[in-house]
Amino acid sequence: MMMATWIVFRREIVQYFTSPIAYLIAAAVLLLTGVVFNQDLAMSIGTKPANPAIVPQVFSFTMVFFAPLLTMRLFAEEKREGTFELLMTAPAPESGIVFGKFFGAWSFYSVLLALSFVYQFILLSISSPDLGHTLSAYIGIWLYGGATLAVGMLFSALTENQVIAAFISMIALMLLWLGDQAGRLIANIDAARIVRGLSLQGRFNSSFAAGLIRAEDVAFFAGMITVVLYVTIRVIESYRWR
Amino acid sequence: MIEVQNLIKKYGDFTAVDRISFTAKKGEIVGLLGPNGAGKTTTMRILTGFMPPTAGTARIAGHDVTTDSLAARGAVGYLPERVPLYPDMTVEAYVSFWAQLRGVRRPKSQVEAVLKRVQLFDRRRTLIRNLSKGMRQRLGLAQALVHNPPVLILDEPTIGIDPQQVIEVREMVQEFGSAHTVLLSTHILSEAEQVCDRVLIINRGRIVAQGKPNQLRQQFESGEHLFVAMEGGDGDAAHVLQNIAAVAAVTPVEGGFQVRIKPKQDGRGAIFDAAVRAGWRLTEIRPISGALEDVFLELVERDKPPGAKPG
Repeated sequence: MMMATWIVFRREIVQYFTSPIAYLIAAAVLLLTGVVFNQDLAMSIGTKPANPAIVPQVFSFTMVFFAPLLTMRLFAEEKREGTFELLMTAPAPESGIVFGKFFGAWSFYSVLLALSFVYQFILLSISSPDLGHTLSAYIGIWLYGGATLAVGMLFSALTENQVIAAFISMIALMLLWLGDQAGRLIANIDAARIVRGLSLQGRFNSSFAAGLIRAEDVAFFAGMITVVLYVTIRVIESYRWR
Repeated sequence: MIEVQNLIKKYGDFTAVDRISFTAKKGEIVGLLGPNGAGKTTTMRILTGFMPPTAGTARIAGHDVTTDSLAARGAVGYLPERVPLYPDMTVEAYVSFWAQLRGVRRPKSQVEAVLKRVQLFDRRRTLIRNLSKGMRQRLGLAQALVHNPPVLILDEPTIGIDPQQVIEVREMVQEFGSAHTVLLSTHILSEAEQVCDRVLIINRGRIVAQGKPNQLRQQFESGEHLFVAMEGGDGDAAHVLQNIAAVAAVTPVEGGFQVRIKPKQDGRGAIFDAAVRAGWRLTEIRPISGALEDVFLELVERDKPPGAKPG
């Protein structure tokens, strides 16, 4: 399985760095984060310390849209091109293929995140930000990104149409993102707690982004990745029985 | 190399493969012949480990495809009907990817050898999206061959490419036959006859006949079909031909007659003699339609489900 993971992972990485959509997303991310960073910086002058988590916060909302765009290809394209049949008849377990693709996507995302370090260097050179706060926000957004990418990949495994895969996973991520607001509208306190507990926004904005690394939030994202990958493996296996 | 016993595959109520059994030895080229929807692709998908059978067993190089799937899959090279390609990869990277996924540790020399074999070596840095259809087909073969599997399973390897390339692919397949066991499906009869050592005729999920191509022909021969054209025959030619003892039926066609000869009779000699007697000048006598074609059509026709409309 390790071998298959590594081989699939390498192919995905090359694929990301040669695909136009990945570069478009990278450009969009840098543009958005750049604008917001500048704005925050301008408003902070003479009034408050600059927010070291501002860039990860931009990532947190935009990943609702960008994670599906980055992952819609992963399985849908294989099914459309027919290579899915070859993958399924290669002597490699489904789990190896799923892990390889997931780590490929997550690594590309990590590179995107790393590009945004440039803002942190700017901050460092003009002020003295709380590096612990910065680190916590980045750890949080890294895990958060992994979870959204896993969701995107799951929907790619469910269809052979990339547009449908992206669209449905955007809706799913949007609902998870809005869990906070939805929780406020629910009268039943226990139900509201559960809905808010599942909220992507709540797990990131009120903890990692505030400089807090809480075990429960780390467990939430790690657990979400694990569960969604497990379901994806099952979905891929189920194609044998159709 | 390939052992199939009582293989059954059902999709709900529909039985796609119905108790198929056969074996293929090392170095043999076996053809699965049948009309579209006969169960050829389903059989191949079971053998390649893509889907499990509903019942029955299949072994590849001694490994059961259900209980020992990974080992069985490792022993197979598979070319599906629609050649599966990554358009954004180079020829070399594509073949190398599949070699590695199938356990080849240092793929470089093997990739090079297989690309030379399918005559794509000088295209190794080309993006797959820029290849012609025939090259894609050869690349598909390269992918199936690169890990040097004992068993090759090729689903309609010559579909949709031009005649020159069909000949090339057929020659390649025949070449592979010496080192690999090849199972290939086709609905083109002359291809099966030309390439395969043994032919299994499949219809509606069952094997309706099997054997060497020439054995099948002899066994089911329904008589030769000849095209006959002459000068000086005018009005009574059809009548005269019909009265020859060896002739079973005469159909007028453009420019001459289509004559069906009774089985195991010397039709040409009889027609020639009759022409001499009637004072015609024969301009043409030639066999029409391929020998296996008739066998095939007859078997498929005979096998129609009850109540099915003819045609």
